[in-house]
Amino acid sequence: MPKLTIDGHEVEVAAGTNLIEAARAAGVAIPYFCYHPYLTVVGQCRICMVEIAGQPRLALGCATPAADGMVVKVESSERAREAREAVMEFLLANHPLDCPVCDQAGECLLQDHSMREQNSAFSTHMTETRRTFPGYERRLIGPHVVQNQNRCIHCSRCIRFTREISGTAALTYKSRGNSTFIDTFDGTAFDDPMSACAADVCPVGALTVREFRFRKRSWKLLSTPSVCPGCSIGCNIFIDHHERVVYRFTPRENPAINATWLCDHGRFLAESLNEQAYLEPQHRTGGQTVRVGWGEALAGIAAELRDAAALRVVASANLSNEELFLARELFGRHLKGEIAVPVAPGEPRKMRNGKGDWLQATDPHPNSAGARRLGINVVDGEGLSRFLYGGAGLTLILDPGAHPFLASPEALQLLRVGTTVVWARREHAAAHAATWLLPTPSLAGNEGTFTSSAGAVQRFVQAFTAPGTVHRTATGAMSPSCPTIASPWGPPGEARPLWLTLTALAHELGVPALDFASPADVFAVMARNDKAFAGLAWETLGGLQQHESFRERQHVG
Amino acid sequence: MNTRPIVAASPEALQIVTFDAAMEARIAELLPRYPTRRAAILPVLWLCQERFGWISPGVVAAVAARLGEAPAFVEGVVSFYTMYQTAPPARYVLQVCTTLSCAWCGGRELVAHLKERLGISFGEITPDGTFQLVGVQCLGACGQAPVIQINDDYYENLDIAKLDAILDELAGRS
Ligand code: SF4
Ligand code: SF4
Ligand code: FES
Ligand code: FES
Repeated sequence: MPKLTIDGHEVEVAAGTNLIEAARAAGVAIPYFCYHPYLTVVGQCRICMVEIAGQPRLALGCATPAADGMVVKVESSERAREAREAVMEFLLANHPLDCPVCDQAGECLLQDHSMREQNSAFSTHMTETRRTFPGYERRLIGPHVVQNQNRCIHCSRCIRFTREISGTAALTYKSRGNSTFIDTFDGTAFDDPMSACAADVCPVGALTVREFRFRKRSWKLLSTPSVCPGCSIGCNIFIDHHERVVYRFTPRENPAINATWLCDHGRFLAESLNEQAYLEPQHRTGGQTVRVGWGEALAGIAAELRDAAALRVVASANLSNEELFLARELFGRHLKGEIAVPVAPGEPRKMRNGKGDWLQATDPHPNSAGARRLGINVVDGEGLSRFLYGGAGLTLILDPGAHPFLASPEALQLLRVGTTVVWARREHAAAHAATWLLPTPSLAGNEGTFTSSAGAVQRFVQAFTAPGTVHRTATGAMSPSCPTIASPWGPPGEARPLWLTLTALAHELGVPALDFASPADVFAVMARNDKAFAGLAWETLGGLQQHESFRERQHVG
Repeated sequence: MNTRPIVAASPEALQIVTFDAAMEARIAELLPRYPTRRAAILPVLWLCQERFGWISPGVVAAVAARLGEAPAFVEGVVSFYTMYQTAPPARYVLQVCTTLSCAWCGGRELVAHLKERLGISFGEITPDGTFQLVGVQCLGACGQAPVIQINDDYYENLDIAKLDAILDELAGRS
């Protein structure tokens, strides 16, 4: 393990670590544009030059491995500073400097570096006008990526991404020298299942994501760590949101699963989190649907549960481990009902981890592995239909999105026979067949854990609560949430996470053992009693303790 | 004077390209001379330009498939070099040296004369498709300045009269 000194800070790093990463560990920031921790090192941009004691020439921070006894100067080297200035002069000679109208502003490496060195005497020897690429200023190069070639600093990150990670090798440099630009073969659409990652890795505003462009300034966004709900691979994400509106998913680094990538399918589920079709609990009696308060709804449902001759619960592989656990304990163990988790086959998805291995999935649910490990009966479409045919009584649908069969006329007919309670967020036919309908929030309004197909238990954090959200007090009673300034944004209504209504039902039904105050408490019990969660601690799940350092890195990546 | 005219395949003919046995034989002969197949991109492209007259996207795709490279990458290579034609060329491509030695020895007058006689400027093709005018840098034959390369042949120590005679002959032949 080489031990070296960087700007006076001693640091010991693993053999093979380059100076940029070693400096990061020492708390020194070596600027970089073309370097990316998960792409090959090409030493193209030359902004990372540092001085190494005893070496006559400046060295590249990205391409120089740390060596024992090295003394590296970054900020403290006048020569390195001059070199960086010269590189910036070249890069900015042709850069449009249109930050005020550039959507990358706030998360642009070039802008950050300009700001960082704003006190240096940047100047230019250029007398020519800037070279431009007419027709390439806002060109949609694929379904999700917009190109502004004028801003490109020719770092080749996007090209390397398609060659080394997504494997489509769809992007290339064309022409040469000053006129070099990024293009696809014969100008065909940049059709890559991970295309938006090319915009992520672009350090400047040359490639931006069509869906997100100009919807929100990046510095307004809060990033909440979460897990992609798109498939069982369980990529780590940030939910970027502002005033209870979700604007995008961005990758959150996890070397074992998604490195710093997301597939387009998963990434663009972000928008769907803003849908909230159902706002208040509803009760259908005598052909009429009436809005009811949460208290009334829970009391009514508790009464139905007490009286039910037979209880069948359709859970879902989209629910958190905590919700599945609560459902299993409350409806299965205490109320002797039957529970099934339907799992539908989905489109094949794949993701490349930090070692370069592909992870594959055909399971469109984020938590089927969790359901299996909790020992809940996992069924396919046929099994689900048999389950629903199992006789009239009380049926609970914890998530109508659990399986497409639940939207079929056949299923709806079955649901109309007995009493049905449905928890739902998005418009769904099953909701219209419900005797009781309870609104749930999106992933952004919930917290808990999912178990990935590879067995990683990963936590997702609540980004925000709905304005009218009701929460539990320590004594189990329900009270409206602290009065907050009413905001005109975000989904309105009183949606509450499923775990919360399940614990409230446990309270109503007099099962104090399940009357938990938070998913963390549920998890603690699971970790004590369930083999699948043994030894895990809520606080450290899914590498959530790394955010602070990662935030900076994600910003960079 | 036996400069052979370029016979350029039509864009339609080059939409989807497959290599016939003769091309395959020449490619197979080339490959062992290079350490990797990627290293053979340039000569294989050159073969294609000889054969088809120019490099269409269809040719790029065929070369990429043959060498196991991404078409985007091969197209990037094509665009990097100026000597690959990416549009159907004229029958005779006149590459006129515009560098110092030639310019001093009458090259500038040749250029002016060519532009006037053919009615086109650099980068353009005469309407009948006979001549294409290209300005190039030193052709490495300064001792015989001024120099024009027509297709694969050098024409040296030129003056306006000699040039006119050459053009007349080439035009008449075509
Ligand atoms: S488009 Fe962006 S990522 Fe690609 S070379 Fe240019 S600056 Fe780099
Ligand atoms: S591979 Fe699966 S978990 Fe990863 S981003 Fe795509 S849908 Fe989401
Ligand atoms: S980061 Fe080292 S040369 Fe670009
Ligand atoms: S200057 Fe024309 S051949 Fe050298």
